[in-house]
Amino acid sequence: MGIIKPDIKFKRELGRLSGSQLNQCMQCGNCSAVCSLAPAERPFPGKEMVWSGWGLKEKLIGNVDIWLCHQCGDCSSYCPRDVKPADVISAIRHQTYLHYARPRFLGKLVSSPAWLPVAIAIPVVVIMAILSLAGTFKIPEGPVDYSAFFPHGLLNSTFSAITLFFYLLASFGIVRFWKDMKRLTPPGEAGMKKFPIARVLGEILSHSNFSGCGSQQLRKIAHMSLFFGFGLLILVTLYAIWATITHNYPLPFTNPFKIAGNVASLMIYSGLGIMVFQRLMNRSVFGKSSYSDWLLLAAIGLLTLSGTLVELARFGNWSVAYHLYFFHLVAVWFVIMYLPFTKMGHIFYRTTALLYARSIGRK
Amino acid sequence: MVLIERLNYLGGNVSRFNNYFPKLCPPACGLEINYSRIRSNPRISYHTGASVESICGSDGDFRVKISVEPRLINNNCTSCGLCAEVCPEERPQKLGRKAGEKAAYINNGLAFPMKYCIDPLVCKREACGKCLEVCDYDAIQLNASPAEVELQVGKIIVATGWILYDAARIENYRYQEEPDVVTNLEFERMLAACTREKTKLTRPSDGKTPRRIAFVQCAGSRDVNHLPYCSAVCCSTSLKHALTLESEYPDIHAEIFYIDMRLSGRNEKLLKQAEGKERIALTKGKVGRIVQGEGEANLVLEVEDISKGFRREDAFDMVVLAMGLTPNHVAAGLKVNKYGFYLPEQRAGIIPAASCKRPMDVSSAVKDATACALKAMQR
Amino acid sequence: MMSAEKKHMALAICTGCDIGNCIDADKLTDAVREAFDGISCISHKSLCSEAGLEELRKFTREKGVDRLGVAACSPRVKTAEFSMDGIYVDRINLREQLAWVMEPGEEDTQMCAEDQTRMVLAKLDTIKENTPYLPEQVYSDVLVVGGGIAGVSAALEGAAAGYRVHLVEKSDRLGGYAGRIYKTPYNEIDLSARTSEVMSHPGVEVHLETSIESISGEPGNFFVAIRNSDSATLKVGSVVTATGWKPYDPDKLSALGYASPRVKTLEEFEQSVQVEQPPDRVLFVLCAGSRDENHLSYCSSYCCGAALKQALYIREKNPGAEVYIVYRDIRTAGFQEEFYKLVQADDAIFMTKGVIKSVSDLGNEVEVVVGESLLDEQITLVADLVVLATGMVPNTTSDLKLQYRLGEGLPELEYEFSDSHFICFPYETRRTGVYAAGTVRAPMDMEMSQEDGAGAMMKAIQCIECVKRGEAVHPRAGDMSYPELYMERCTDCKRCTEECPFGSYDETDKGTPLPNPARCRRCGICVGSCPERIISFSDFSINSVSAMIKAVHVPDEFKEKPRVLVFVCENDAYPALDAAGVHRLRYSPFVRIIPVRCLGSVNKVWISDALSHGYDGILQIGCKPGDDYQCHFIHGSELTEQRGENLQETLETMMLEPERIQTRFVEITDHHEIQEIINDYVEELELIGPNPFKDM
Ligand code: SF4
Ligand code: SF4
Ligand code: SF4
Ligand code: SF4
Ligand code: SF4
Ligand code: SF4
Repeated sequence: MGIIKPDIKFKRELGRLSGSQLNQCMQCGNCSAVCSLAPAERPFPGKEMVWSGWGLKEKLIGNVDIWLCHQCGDCSSYCPRDVKPADVISAIRHQTYLHYARPRFLGKLVSSPAWLPVAIAIPVVVIMAILSLAGTFKIPEGPVDYSAFFPHGLLNSTFSAITLFFYLLASFGIVRFWKDMKRLTPPGEAGMKKFPIARVLGEILSHSNFSGCGSQQLRKIAHMSLFFGFGLLILVTLYAIWATITHNYPLPFTNPFKIAGNVASLMIYSGLGIMVFQRLMNRSVFGKSSYSDWLLLAAIGLLTLSGTLVELARFGNWSVAYHLYFFHLVAVWFVIMYLPFTKMGHIFYRTTALLYARSIGRK
Repeated sequence: MVLIERLNYLGGNVSRFNNYFPKLCPPACGLEINYSRIRSNPRISYHTGASVESICGSDGDFRVKISVEPRLINNNCTSCGLCAEVCPEERPQKLGRKAGEKAAYINNGLAFPMKYCIDPLVCKREACGKCLEVCDYDAIQLNASPAEVELQVGKIIVATGWILYDAARIENYRYQEEPDVVTNLEFERMLAACTREKTKLTRPSDGKTPRRIAFVQCAGSRDVNHLPYCSAVCCSTSLKHALTLESEYPDIHAEIFYIDMRLSGRNEKLLKQAEGKERIALTKGKVGRIVQGEGEANLVLEVEDISKGFRREDAFDMVVLAMGLTPNHVAAGLKVNKYGFYLPEQRAGIIPAASCKRPMDVSSAVKDATACALKAMQR
Repeated sequence: MMSAEKKHMALAICTGCDIGNCIDADKLTDAVREAFDGISCISHKSLCSEAGLEELRKFTREKGVDRLGVAACSPRVKTAEFSMDGIYVDRINLREQLAWVMEPGEEDTQMCAEDQTRMVLAKLDTIKENTPYLPEQVYSDVLVVGGGIAGVSAALEGAAAGYRVHLVEKSDRLGGYAGRIYKTPYNEIDLSARTSEVMSHPGVEVHLETSIESISGEPGNFFVAIRNSDSATLKVGSVVTATGWKPYDPDKLSALGYASPRVKTLEEFEQSVQVEQPPDRVLFVLCAGSRDENHLSYCSSYCCGAALKQALYIREKNPGAEVYIVYRDIRTAGFQEEFYKLVQADDAIFMTKGVIKSVSDLGNEVEVVVGESLLDEQITLVADLVVLATGMVPNTTSDLKLQYRLGEGLPELEYEFSDSHFICFPYETRRTGVYAAGTVRAPMDMEMSQEDGAGAMMKAIQCIECVKRGEAVHPRAGDMSYPELYMERCTDCKRCTEECPFGSYDETDKGTPLPNPARCRRCGICVGSCPERIISFSDFSINSVSAMIKAVHVPDEFKEKPRVLVFVCENDAYPALDAAGVHRLRYSPFVRIIPVRCLGSVNKVWISDALSHGYDGILQIGCKPGDDYQCHFIHGSELTEQRGENLQETLETMMLEPERIQTRFVEITDHHEIQEIINDYVEELELIGPNPFKDM
């Protein structure tokens, strides 16, 4: 490596995001030693901690290893200097979303509380625009019928279009990410394997990397609930969209998809519950949870909650039903549209990183 | 000068050490010179088995109550050893203790005072009394009870030294579960026993000769979860152990895992010597965990070799924990710093000396004690 | 010179502790009576018991005994019990070195007991009354050289203990190096308070801008010629030298770029930071010149802390600055670890382990290539200023201007440090009454220097008090005998002056030795060195040992009972032999043991005496020589080795096998080895065969 130019801004940003006194690291390597996911060659997170201490952004962004970390917190609990490497790694991941985010401002938007009003304003404005476009600005009388107020067809198509657009932008980031990984962690002598998709998929579905971490089985359960709950909800939503196009909407409450949706909501609630509880109780392991952590948890929570309420409102003919639905749509925006720019972006980045790691034979 | 010692022999921890760093020379050499001065200087008296009960009075006029645990053998003892020969009770096996040591015992051939004593926890007293029959010198008093002694002194030097941090509290090193994970103090005594009895080092679990021994530095020290300070002596100690093994055991490989090698001044020499040795490896990296492995070398260390950037899971036969030092206290209500060590400044007339003030090596302890003796002479 | 006074010798035999079972005490008494006319004997089954001692006291009183041999246990035990007012007592170690190590009831064991007893009694017969060396005048003032932190501490502590102190400082102010530094963030030492205290202390006379012209004399009577505006002579009892250190010569660090104006040393930076703002990027190179075989092999101990401290200065003076620290190990031992963390709390201080590969001045900035770093295998850092943490070199002690024949300073040992046995006896130097304190004797930080000054002062005071009582200081503290020279026979060969490890002897212009007994540590090396055999102690002389040698009955060569004379150093080898006894390790009964003050005190004449007396071999057992295991008298063991070579020649001229004389070095814990040494040697000797001089 050539000239090292320490980047104190980046270093401080990592410190701020992670709430870690990362300069206290004495480079003892204990974190890499206790990490059950660290590979033998150039293990993490020790080296990342050294680089963080010098603010070596170019080594940290596009680093494949930070995605192999599943943030079990073992390294943090055993760190003799209480530097919380797990949180620092997580902060680097966060910086990664920002780095690859296009348009850049979207990344900024969701990473600091100051921008929150704007982040909320955007979906509100867009939805209002759609509503005014459809001209259904008046809350209908009678039993709750969402389609009377919300132009489902228009909504679905705009939302899908925007989502696709955002994801397309994100995919450019992913491509750059892939290149950076390749540059920073070039494949060894053995070269690259063909995409080991099946293996990575297996890892993701089985959550096997979670069981590696010593700290908590609960976390695995929580993430699994969220993961499968969320997946199920997506399926249900896709079905619902298809349903609105092809036949009658809304679905009756007895529709299996409707039931699945409710089961998924329950899974998400329990997953979220565990996560929130752990974050509050186990500060030593999780460190100071950052804004982006809470934003994500809140968004998913509100999304699911508003979904449930929307359903109940229809059932109970509440007068606030349409407001709830509006709120629900904003929440959808937060989770789905902003996905590549928030912590949810890990769905893309981690999957990509795992693919890369496994293809170069990194554990 | 009245010397109050809690144990039955003078010399403290180092009297059971195998050698000192950096010269790798036996502590008994310097101790013997000091013992001989105590022997022939009528101005010095001492009490063994004695602990301070209370201190009253003030500078220039202290009254110190001490309770003296009986050795069960009095000063008549000639150290003939007959009592130990006939004694049927054995002291429990402990690392560094002579196998089958009797209830009547003496520390070693250079112990001071050169008198036997009886382990009160093991001795069956009158129910046995075998030693009473053989002792020709009326030295054995099996029913002796603790004595209270009151001393009048002008100044008090507190030199209570150190004790190890409790190794069991570092659960990831499995000290309690694994017999072959030992503290550096235990290891030191094991080596001393080998020198004393001319035996070979064996590992506690199965009595086999270890082939690979790992030294885990900063065990408890420099760790916010345990002791935040550095214990200052353990790097030199482990190097000393490794060099001792290197010169005496052609089959043993030693590897030291450290964060920083902290050797001040000429102790650096230890590092220079160790670096050239084939059977000593020095690896930068703090040991994360010790887990149970398979087969004979069953202690698997998880550690990153930082310099090589390589995470190892490596099996050893034996692990020595370079434990941190903590202060040993005396019942005197002295002022302590945030780590529990005695502050240099106490109420007038009480002078803490050496390693109860901060972790330090023998040489520093001797020099500080010398300085404190001068302070005690001042009015 | 045999004593002419009337004396009465006696022998007390203890038959306790296996001795009685091992030998026949009556036979021993008979043998002794035969050898020593008019000797009184007593035996008791437990001589050290109250009853035994009572009987012994009565016996000595009644018989008017003034020299008593106690044939019992080792002199290392029951010392107080067998000390008797007005009687010279010597011990015959029939327990640890006979009953516990030899076959009981055997003829050879009995012969050994008889010989050993006769030896000690023969010695008692020769020794003179001891008159301790008591100079007419003993000065109690202490000279402290150097007004740095250690010197100031020594002066204050000594004065507080009631001793007058002369504090001599070369420069015009006290405080030394520590007085010139900007801040001491991690030491709670208020140096300026200490220096003003010492300036106004009635018990301390401060001599600023003063140099030492010469120091002559001996402990208790040192005459110190000083010069400032005019000259004066101070009379002091002892000296503490605390002349401090200097930075390692940075000109030798050209590999680290010292020639560049953008590269400074710690010291230079400490000064410049007080007057100018540091630049934006400063890089510290730790261990500059230390821990390096080509420069200073040791760790200078202070520089890690000092560099961390300076990093804080930079940040304080230039909040926009970045500091890079390249270290090998961060050595903030003990509570200093807290300071390390404190410095790390500032995230503009960047640290990495690494090895400096090159430092190059690019004209406007400095490029530093670092290898083996944790950031990458090789990295390049760019800075505006590089600070080299140069090491600590002890100042020369020759400024003391000691008017000693063996040189003006303290003899230096490994790494040019002057302390001789730094682990157990950290203040001892090789000049009695002169104690080194602070960084002049080893690298240390301010807190330790302060403690060190106090400790050295204690030793200085102790020395004065010992001289007043006519006693030796370490390691034979309390010994009241001292070497006396029968000058009429001196040939001015200068052996004694050269070989005395402590520089006791000066010389006249003609080269005649001038003893200074208060400098003497009573090692007896001069006794061993003198070819004219004119140096002796009251209880340790050519005659006394010769008498011991001759007191042994040597059987003729056909009895197959070889006799081996063993000279054993009292410091380590003797206790090791005792420990062999405690462990009941058997060795040959053919040995006859003579304890000596130091192996270096063995005179060649004893060897030839022994050979002509018919001993088959001579074994000398002493302390391990060398830097890592110093003989308590510094080079007694080495001298024995050197002299051994000459001895081999003597043997050859006598047509004797050189293997008959052997020297072995042991540690005090080598009781097993000492058993082997003796047994192996006796075995080897049996192969060589008897000494042909036996019947001559
Ligand atoms: S983060 Fe903690 S455990 Fe990891 S190297 Fe730094 S100090 Fe050690
Ligand atoms: S949080 Fe867990 S997985 Fe991540 S680096 Fe730390 S120990 Fe490894
Ligand atoms: S107590 Fe008695 S039997 Fe035991 S060693 Fe002492 S004197 Fe001998
Ligand atoms: S001396 Fe070494 S092993 Fe001991 S605490 Fe300090 S750095 Fe750790
Ligand atoms: S104190 Fe630090 S910088 Fe100085 S020589 Fe020792 S290790 Fe190197
Ligand atoms: S006895 Fe030793 S110290 Fe004394 S004068 Fe002789 S050689 Fe020197």
